[in-house]
Amino acid sequence: MHIPDGYVDITIAVVFAALSVAVLSFAARRVGRTVPESRAPLLGVVAAGIFAAQMLNWPIPGGTSAHFVGGAFAAILLGPHLGALCVATVVTIQALVFGDGGLVVLGANVFNMAIVEVYVGYGIYRLVAPYGEFRAAFAAGWLGITAGALTAGLQLGLSSAFEYQLLTTLSIMGVGHLVLGLIEGAITAMVYRYLADARPDLRPTAETEVSLS
Amino acid sequence: MSDRPNWLVGALAILLALTLLAPVFGWAAGAVGYAEPLENAAEQTGAVDSAEAVSIALLADYSVAGLGSAAGTFVSAVVGTALTLVVALGIGRLLGTAPNAE
Repeated sequence: MHIPDGYVDITIAVVFAALSVAVLSFAARRVGRTVPESRAPLLGVVAAGIFAAQMLNWPIPGGTSAHFVGGAFAAILLGPHLGALCVATVVTIQALVFGDGGLVVLGANVFNMAIVEVYVGYGIYRLVAPYGEFRAAFAAGWLGITAGALTAGLQLGLSSAFEYQLLTTLSIMGVGHLVLGLIEGAITAMVYRYLADARPDLRPTAETEVSLS
Repeated sequence: MSDRPNWLVGALAILLALTLLAPVFGWAAGAVGYAEPLENAAEQTGAVDSAEAVSIALLADYSVAGLGSAAGTFVSAVVGTALTLVVALGIGRLLGTAPNAE
């Protein structure tokens, strides 16, 4: 999911970098007004946990492998704005220190994983939550990462290195991550359920929503 | 506030456990042949040769020069996790203490 430099045309990279900067600065402004200082340690731990979890490549027999991206997970736990900043931090460190994802395309990678996966995942979580939080977290992780993969496929398919084969890139990225996303959904839902049971006070909605259970 | 160290200790223990798992998963993924949909798409369209490495990356590909694969992955996991923790904490504090401008 991390696009290296050279894959995406410079104009595409610039457009998505500008979009990312715009969304993240909006997120930072929203967060500055709404987040209590006490959530700073949680932001740090969730970001570090996502970094560590992304290093775990789940091997799938047949020659493929996927790792947890965590955008939807961050959105559910931290709220979408702080979640976006959280995953953007991870993606930036991965590119700068580990060369995982390019520098020119950093904005595009942030857009796919820290913005699309986070906000789409959060929207799906909110939509499905009335039918059960476990289900909602699963759907958020699953469809959030698929949405991020589709925007990555869009960026690649509009680029010369991929010979503008938009249908090919969209279908390989979309279908591939629709399948691999089941793992993302499962991890998102299981870790969320564990945290919700162990530390119900960490849930962003804990102060504002009354649980029936 | 008083229980903050309490959950932080548990969280740090989980982070350490994840970094210890990194080399294991790295080996397992290598054993089945690591390929993501992105790489498949690049192969199908002939884009593979266009990829450029990030030259400033100190621990490129999560490996450390002079260390073996497992040790390099583990060191990368520890460094990256700790760095992410510190940077994100810093961002959280900045945002948390920023005066409400609007």
